Amino acid sequence: MRECVIEVKDMYFNYPDGTPALQGINLNIYDGEFVALLGQNGAGKTTFAKTLNGLLKPTSGYVKVGGIDTNQKGVIKKLVMQVGYIFQNPDHQLFNNHVKKEIAYAPRNIGLSPEEVERRVQDAARVAGVREEHFNMHPFFLTKGLRQRVSIASILALKPRVIIVDEPTTGQDFKQSIEVMEFLKMLNEKEGHTIIIITHEMDIIAKYAKRIIALARGKVLLDGPTNEVFAQSDILETTYVKPPEVTQLAQALSDYGIPKDIIDIEDLWSEFSNRIKGTEEQ
Amino acid sequence: MSETKLAVKISELTWQYSDTKAPALKNINIEIPENCFVGLTGPNESGKTTLVSCIKGLIPRNFNGSLLGKIELFGQDVKTMSAVDLAQTVGFVFADPEAQFTAMSVEEELAFGMENIGLSIDEIRERIKWVSQITMIENLLDKSPYDISGGQKQRVAIASVLAMRPRIIIMDEPTSMLDPFGKDSVFEICEKMKEELNMTVIMVEHTIDRLARLCDKMILIHEGEIKKYAEPVEFFDNIEEIIEYGLNAPDPMIFIHKLRKAGYYKGNMKTELKDVIKVAREALDKHVS
Repeated sequence: MRECVIEVKDMYFNYPDGTPALQGINLNIYDGEFVALLGQNGAGKTTFAKTLNGLLKPTSGYVKVGGIDTNQKGVIKKLVMQVGYIFQNPDHQLFNNHVKKEIAYAPRNIGLSPEEVERRVQDAARVAGVREEHFNMHPFFLTKGLRQRVSIASILALKPRVIIVDEPTTGQDFKQSIEVMEFLKMLNEKEGHTIIIITHEMDIIAKYAKRIIALARGKVLLDGPTNEVFAQSDILETTYVKPPEVTQLAQALSDYGIPKDIIDIEDLWSEFSNRIKGTEEQ
Repeated sequence: MSETKLAVKISELTWQYSDTKAPALKNINIEIPENCFVGLTGPNESGKTTLVSCIKGLIPRNFNGSLLGKIELFGQDVKTMSAVDLAQTVGFVFADPEAQFTAMSVEEELAFGMENIGLSIDEIRERIKWVSQITMIENLLDKSPYDISGGQKQRVAIASVLAMRPRIIIMDEPTSMLDPFGKDSVFEICEKMKEELNMTVIMVEHTIDRLARLCDKMILIHEGEIKKYAEPVEFFDNIEEIIEYGLNAPDPMIFIHKLRKAGYYKGNMKTELKDVIKVAREALDKHVS
C-alpha cells in the first residue's frame, strides 16, 4: 500500500467574511498519484489546493501533510518542503533578476548550506530543462515556456513530495500543452513526485490524470479513477462539466454494448470495430 | 447571382521583422469575401498575429521590418488608408481584454471609441443599447470593467469594438485566457455576430473543434505559410495532415477518419458530435445484426 501524503478530514473553510468555500471535505492523497481537480469556477478548486500547502488554514477539521497538521504553528518551513505550488502565470512567482538566484531563493531561505543550495539548484535546473547558459539571464527575457520551467525549477529545488500546478496549459497551443504535460508525467513517473493539476481541459485530464476529484459548491461531487468519474456524465452535468467528446461518443453508443467509461480514441475504435468484426465472423 | 465583394485581398505578402533572420510571413495570397466568418489557426509563432496585424495595418506602421506585396481592404490599398479610415474599417479584439480598457465604467468604456470619432450623444446611446444587447452585458454598464469576470471582460472588449461598426472585426485568441463558462459565452456571441450582423470576422483560435462548428472558412498557417484555406468539412478532410501540422485533431473527427479507412463509411467529414454519433450508429446498424 502506498503511503498517504495528504490527509484531509472533515475540512471546512470559510473566507474571512464568513462565506463558506469548502464544506466537509474528506479524502486522502497517496504517494505517486497523478490527480486532477475538476469543477466550474467558484467550485472551490483553487481554495482547496491552497489548503494543501498551508497557504490557507482550515476553519475546522484538519489537513495533514506528511503527518504534519497545517494548523500547527511554525510548520510553514516543513510544509513548503512537502508541497510546492506552481501558479498559472509564471510571472506571478518570479521576482529575482537572475535565473540562478530565482531557483536558489527558496532553498537558501529555508536555511540550507551554500553547498546544498548549489547542489539543489543544479539538480532542479537539470530536471526542469533550464541550462547553465540561462543562469545569468533575467527571467523576464526568457520565452514563456522557459519562464515556466524556471518557476518549476524553483519549486523542485525544495524537493517537495507533492507538486500542485494551477492551469498548466492555459494560453498555450497544443504542442506546448503536450510538452508541459509530458514533463509533469516524467516528474511523476521518474522522479516520484505526486502531481495535482487544476485544469478545465478534459482531453488533458483524460490523457494524463489517473484520478479525478470533482468539486461542486465546496463539496466533493465525485472522486475516483479518471474513466469511472467521466462515465458518470449525468452527475457531472449537474455542475456543467462534460466528459471529453470521445467519452460522450462512447456513451451515445452504449446501447450497442460499448462501455461508458472510455477515455481514449484508440480504445473506442477497438471496441467499435470488435463489435462489427464479431458479427461478421458469425 | 450578385457579385460578392472582397473584404480582404492579400497578394504576394512577405514580411520580415527587422530583428529576425527569416520572414514571419512568406508569399501569402488570400481572398476573404465580405461577411465571411473566418477562423485562423496554427501553432504558436506560426504567424497568426503577424498576419492579422498586417490586415489591421499595424504592420508595417508600428513595427520595423520589410514588407513586400499588397494588402487591400474593400479594394483599397492599406498603405493609402488614413489611420482614421483604418480604425473605422477594422476593429481589433485582443486576447487580454484589459489591454484595451481605458475607462472606469463599462458604459464609458463602450462610449470611448465613439466619442473619439465624434458621434452624437443620441447615436452613442443608441449604439450602446444595441451592442450591450448583442454581447449580453446590459446589466454590467455601471460596473468597473476591472471588477467583472474574465468572460464578461472579453464581452465588453468585443462590444466596444462592435460599437464602432467596423466592416471587418479581428479577434486574436479571444478565449485563450477564459474558463469554460467564459469561452462558451464568447462563442455564443460569435454565433450571434455571424447570424445577425453584416460583418466580416477573422477569429484567431486554438480550439479548432469549436471553430469548425462556427466558421464559414478556416485558414491554417504554419511557419509563415498558408497551408490550408477551405470550408471546415474540407479543411478537416485529411485529418492526418492536421495532426502533422501540430494541431489538436478532435477525437470525433479522428473517429470518422478511422471509419472511412476501414470502409464502414464513405461520406464527408463531420464536424458536429451529433453527426458523428449518427454516422457511427448507422455503421453499427448496417454491420451488426
